[in-house]
Amino acid sequence: MPRIRLENLTKSYGSLDVIHGIDLVMQENEFTVLVGPSGCGKSTTLRMIAGLESVSAGEIYMGEKAVSKLEPKERDIAMVFQDYALYPHMNVAKNMSFALRLQKTPKKEIDKKVSEVAAILGLERFLHRKPAELSGGQRQRVAMGRALTRDASTFLFDEPLSNLDAKLRGQMRAELALMSQRVKKNMVYVTHDQVEAMTLGDRIIVMQDGHIRQQGTPEELFKHPSSKFVAGFIGSPPMNFLSATLQDNSGIVSVVGEGFCFQLSEQRASRAKKISGNDVIVGIRPSDLYLNPSADVANQLTLSVLVSEYIGAQSILHAQCGDNHLSVEIKSEQPVALGESLIFSASPEGLHLFDKKTELAI
Amino acid sequence: MSQAALTTERRNPAFYALVVALIVMALGPIVMMISTSLKLNVDVMGETSSLLFMPTVANYETVLCDVLWYTPERVEYCDPTFGRALGNSLIIALASTAITLIIGTMAAYALVRFRFMGRGTVSMTSLMMRMVPPAVLLVPVFGIWTFDFCVGESCAAGTYWGIVLVYVAMNLPFVIWILQSFIVQVPIQLEEAARVDGANPFQVFFLVVLPLIKPGLAAAAIFTFRIAWNEFLLANALLDRNTRTVPVTIVNSLTEYDIDWGVIMATGSLLAIPPIIFTFVASKQIITGMTAGAVKG
Repeated sequence: MPRIRLENLTKSYGSLDVIHGIDLVMQENEFTVLVGPSGCGKSTTLRMIAGLESVSAGEIYMGEKAVSKLEPKERDIAMVFQDYALYPHMNVAKNMSFALRLQKTPKKEIDKKVSEVAAILGLERFLHRKPAELSGGQRQRVAMGRALTRDASTFLFDEPLSNLDAKLRGQMRAELALMSQRVKKNMVYVTHDQVEAMTLGDRIIVMQDGHIRQQGTPEELFKHPSSKFVAGFIGSPPMNFLSATLQDNSGIVSVVGEGFCFQLSEQRASRAKKISGNDVIVGIRPSDLYLNPSADVANQLTLSVLVSEYIGAQSILHAQCGDNHLSVEIKSEQPVALGESLIFSASPEGLHLFDKKTELAI
Repeated sequence: MSQAALTTERRNPAFYALVVALIVMALGPIVMMISTSLKLNVDVMGETSSLLFMPTVANYETVLCDVLWYTPERVEYCDPTFGRALGNSLIIALASTAITLIIGTMAAYALVRFRFMGRGTVSMTSLMMRMVPPAVLLVPVFGIWTFDFCVGESCAAGTYWGIVLVYVAMNLPFVIWILQSFIVQVPIQLEEAARVDGANPFQVFFLVVLPLIKPGLAAAAIFTFRIAWNEFLLANALLDRNTRTVPVTIVNSLTEYDIDWGVIMATGSLLAIPPIIFTFVASKQIITGMTAGAVKG
């Protein structure tokens, strides 16, 4: 399966630039997820790879071949669309075999391939139904089946799960993960749902406003976000951000804000000072805060609880710290009264610092 | 309570009278046509003209004499006009329907899917062509078809292709207009999916778009066929005695010496059959929800 390489890929509509020259390499058989808020250009990028959208500048390479001027059918790709795009006048079997029939594949081979894929996706019973007679999840499965029956080297997914209800989405997500392990192909997957991105992707590309903000494994993105945007986008519930200032107390540097104070290691403090002077933003994930009533005054955060959301083993507290709203994940056994003031600590690794102006990680 | 229910159930007698009047107005001419076609001239002209008569197929035999497999005894001279006219009508109506649909779908598809300068204007103004009454076209078309559209000795006037050309031009704007609204409803994702699946533009059009706009094609076909079949004004001006269609033939058989009502009505009855069959077949294709299940449910 060829490596896909985007080189200075640009898309503009008239004078409006939508994709600002992105460079990206997708390794062989890698499951790459493009993720970002709506309008960030992830779907446009995918559609350019598919050949459904013209490329304004730059080039797409599949292996060593430049493909940006080629028709979709010459690119050896299969695509699953957000809203299925099944041919309504054909039954499931005909839908899945459309591409093969266009290639004039012998009928025997088509039948074999279709029943093979139908077995993988559990569609055997529906082969003679029309799309209108299927449920949403089944239609989505047919759409994937249509891509799978072709022996394309690259699979493109354009938000394939966004039209399904929550339960079905979870189930299909698991099936997709399973499928990607079994079928060794290049997969490029577009989604706005960071949970999908985290669970499916070998590598995640976070996009914003037509730029790539960060790329890496799910773990890298979660632990070391390169900017406030990425930090806020990846992880659920999202990271808390607090404005703070750096205070130097005879050599010990702390980030201090209304209702909290955290000491920094020397190395970190000097870096922070060098980069952004005194004003910084502190980011703490809800899961990185833990209750610690006996915490040192120089290393704690005081919250007053506004709402407690019980979600099972965990509860999410929505709380106030000075003027800032925060969310905190705690174990549900811990009794919490509304309006109560609680003292939390955070581990040094759980503290993320961002420059106030550029919003880049320090 | 039940009183009120009763009064709403039992409508005003005037309502029924109106319905009956409308039915008589709608069916009366048809009943008259069919019954007259089954009468001999003696019964038609007789003083005791009534619904009581001995039905006969003699008029139909006269009309179809050269098409029938046997020679009707009563027909002394077999006039081939009517049989020929029926054939002409069929050829002209079917040909203009087919050509209009082929050109119409392609034009409508281009107007909906392709971006080019003046697209909106073309889309809007194409329907304006339809606003010109055929009677206005009559004289210029006759002139041009007789003197300008000539290949060697033969001119467009009096030929099948000449009249088909007029009908296609006349019906095309409306057909394009109807089909545009059907093509707009075909989700663009389907075409994209087909392109990714390896279809070339023609395969996308014929294998994906065309099957989905079948209802539109049927509606357009009924419309075009009916107009081409019934048209009189232009057909009367342009066609010669060998290519004449049925409506023209019927009118031409009203002469100052003799009006054979029975034969005329028999021709009329026969004239009504093909459009009925055509509409019946085509309307089976008009089902809603063709694109159901294509995209997100």
